[in-house]
Amino acid sequence: MKCDVAVVGSGLAALVATRTLQRAGRDPVLIWPGLSSLYFLYATVDVLGYANASSAQPVEEPAAGVRQLIAQNPDHPYARAGLAALEDGSSLLLEWLREAGFNWQGTLNRNLLLPTALGTPKPSCLVPTSMVAGDLQRDEPIAFCGFDGYQDFVPELAASNLSGAWNGGGRTVTAVRVSLPGIKPDRLFTSIDLARNFEDATFRREVAGRLRLAVKDSGARLGMPAVLGLTHDTDVHAEFEKECGHPVFEIPTLPPSVLGLRLFDRLRRHVQETGVEMIWAAPAHDAEVANGRCLRIHLKSAGREQPLEARAYVLALEDAVDGAWRAGAHTVRDPFFHQVLAQHATPAERTDESLFAPQPFATVGYPVSDRLQPVDKDGHPLASNVFVAGGGMAGYDPTGIKARGGMAIATGYRAAQEAMAA
Amino acid sequence: MITEDLETFSDTVEEEHPVEACTKCTACNTVCPVARSTEIFRGPKFLGPESERYRDQQEATVTAGLDLCSGCKLCEVTCPSQVSIQEYIRRAQNKGAREKGRTLRDWLLGHTRLLSRFGSLTAPLANFGNRNPFFRLLMERFVGIHRRRPLPKYQWLTFENWFKRRNRQNSPPPLGEGRVGATRRTVAYFYGCWVDFNERRLGQQVVAVLERNGIEVIVPRQQCCGIPAVVNSNTDLARKYGVENVRRLSMLPEGVDIIASSTSCGLMLKHDYAHLLEIPGAEAVGARVYDICEYLWMLHEAGELDVDFQPVDTRVLYHAPCHLKSHGIGYPAMRLLRLIPGVRVEEVDEGCCGISGTYGVKVEKYDLSMKIGSRLFEAVKAAGSDSVLADCETCRMQVEHGAGSRSAHPIDILARAYGYR
Repeated sequence: MKCDVAVVGSGLAALVATRTLQRAGRDPVLIWPGLSSLYFLYATVDVLGYANASSAQPVEEPAAGVRQLIAQNPDHPYARAGLAALEDGSSLLLEWLREAGFNWQGTLNRNLLLPTALGTPKPSCLVPTSMVAGDLQRDEPIAFCGFDGYQDFVPELAASNLSGAWNGGGRTVTAVRVSLPGIKPDRLFTSIDLARNFEDATFRREVAGRLRLAVKDSGARLGMPAVLGLTHDTDVHAEFEKECGHPVFEIPTLPPSVLGLRLFDRLRRHVQETGVEMIWAAPAHDAEVANGRCLRIHLKSAGREQPLEARAYVLALEDAVDGAWRAGAHTVRDPFFHQVLAQHATPAERTDESLFAPQPFATVGYPVSDRLQPVDKDGHPLASNVFVAGGGMAGYDPTGIKARGGMAIATGYRAAQEAMAA
Repeated sequence: MITEDLETFSDTVEEEHPVEACTKCTACNTVCPVARSTEIFRGPKFLGPESERYRDQQEATVTAGLDLCSGCKLCEVTCPSQVSIQEYIRRAQNKGAREKGRTLRDWLLGHTRLLSRFGSLTAPLANFGNRNPFFRLLMERFVGIHRRRPLPKYQWLTFENWFKRRNRQNSPPPLGEGRVGATRRTVAYFYGCWVDFNERRLGQQVVAVLERNGIEVIVPRQQCCGIPAVVNSNTDLARKYGVENVRRLSMLPEGVDIIASSTSCGLMLKHDYAHLLEIPGAEAVGARVYDICEYLWMLHEAGELDVDFQPVDTRVLYHAPCHLKSHGIGYPAMRLLRLIPGVRVEEVDEGCCGISGTYGVKVEKYDLSMKIGSRLFEAVKAAGSDSVLADCETCRMQVEHGAGSRSAHPIDILARAYGYR
């Protein structure tokens, strides 16, 4: 198969790259190796939550924080992509979300502070409107609402954690629980099941009625697990809020993330509706390079390898999540150029024993040039028309600094720009 | 320091994806059309890799809930770790059926070719019976076929006989009227039971479109691809069919590509023969198999497709069958249709239609099958188009039944654009 630009990946970096190419009048094809981190890890688009992984002080102005990070660390993926790519990429995403029928808020100049499912405050930049009422920079009391039998959100735990952490214990936080109509508490159900139920107006009204009775404080905001609809979040949230008679905000839960799924599903459908072809179930590998250019990559289709020829390629792989790398006992290689990306005496060197410490495996990836081309150990591009975005870049570890969305947007946007110029 | 021990421990990477590759991320459960539509079904994650870890070949299979899996394979399409989720469910279904026995209904549905041969030989009678409410009531009562499910119409003249007769009576039409490329190509057409007994016209269109492009079409002797047997938990029968097909198709001269016009037949030949059924020699055959639209698009990219199309003024919807997604080739039909002047094609992206071959025919699954497809039916009705295109024959049956629209294989439009009826 032949195409203009092939984008490999299904995460936010891949989607932003695809949209950037499409907006510029180019003809991208999206190669889809399975669901991505968008779907388990995302809820909000975080640009910079902490200046470094060990800092406890949230960043207030993400754009200013990124500028500082770039100045201090010229090898950081943000520095490679550039601040302009972050700014232009974010406007592109916000405009895209509007066009796709989503209701999102936020600017790069300010972080909101939103409670997590454990009741800890987390800085976030661009967020769905259904989460905004949870901002801890506001003073109204919060009532966390849980549901009998639903195991992924414990309102009492969230309330007890937040009441200590929020403004030194100076605010009111309570917890309530209600039972759900038609769902027996002994049945195991997930946030996905719940989100489907909330799309039903009768179910929603019944739950809203029970919550109204349970929440005594008339001025409280209701914080509930993010299960307000799997597809039509904007309508479901607005109607549920009206029926409850309280401001309502959603809190992201354990994977799978309903918020991430909504985002992924809508954006995926939108690119397809607007004419971008998506090739499902075809993991890509094996780049053929001649005279410094990648001639084709190969897709693992049913029955045989399918060559795919493009003028340029954006590799928006996601390291640990989609199994992009090939890790043996000692070496980690990439599937396209078969470069050794990391070498370890024992596999244990790839992980830190503390779950919350930065993990060495997270930083494994392609070293890249100034134009985001993957380079060999001498710094020469492996192919002049291949560009890396997202988790496939070396040193790409957004977890500790809470920058997952911003780094994906900036690198995806920049890689697409470079692919157009290649 | 690299120890001796670790040095001998291989540094090669497992390219197959065993059950351990499942990270329990739940992606499959969220896309499963059955789990979306009924709370009884626990989803592919639980019935596939999670249960697989506890299954023991020596012990009886726990079959509860297994038969609700429709086999659409969307779980595998979605899996970020490329685990063969559905294959685990399939193997367990089959082992369970071997232990407990199959119903007469499932035995019959697995023998589609036999059933269709009979239906074709007695075509007027079979078609009358299939449309007679009293007979359908009896069928529901005693066989377990839902009375509201329209059954395919049988044709007395099979595609195979038509093709033989055509070649006997007048030698095939001169090749290459519209030939653009220089390569001389010959293809073997795997038409499948549907084209043979129910929709001969589609087979004729496929032959006409290929011959128009200067390609010689041969029709090798063939057996049912085996998917009806696979989905009715009879992989032994499917394997028997598969072995026969692989033997025959392996004898084709080198350079002859194999074309399938049914999405699921094509997927069996390309993938399931080698993987699920583990048929020796199947990989070499699978590597030669192309979906008809995939093949025509490949010709187009090689500059060998005749694009001298007559305008076809029509607005059509395209439904991508689940099994087409498993092919990993994108939507070649959409690309081809966009080459034809006057054709406005839009994708209805509402997921599985719900019929899944013989699944939606069964009395206990009919309602569920219609519920799964309801989003698609509503979208088709709302789009207000007169026709839905789909590469898979049972998707077409389901859309016609559920949305009340007409339906056709994408080749139908292509044949019209070449001026065939």
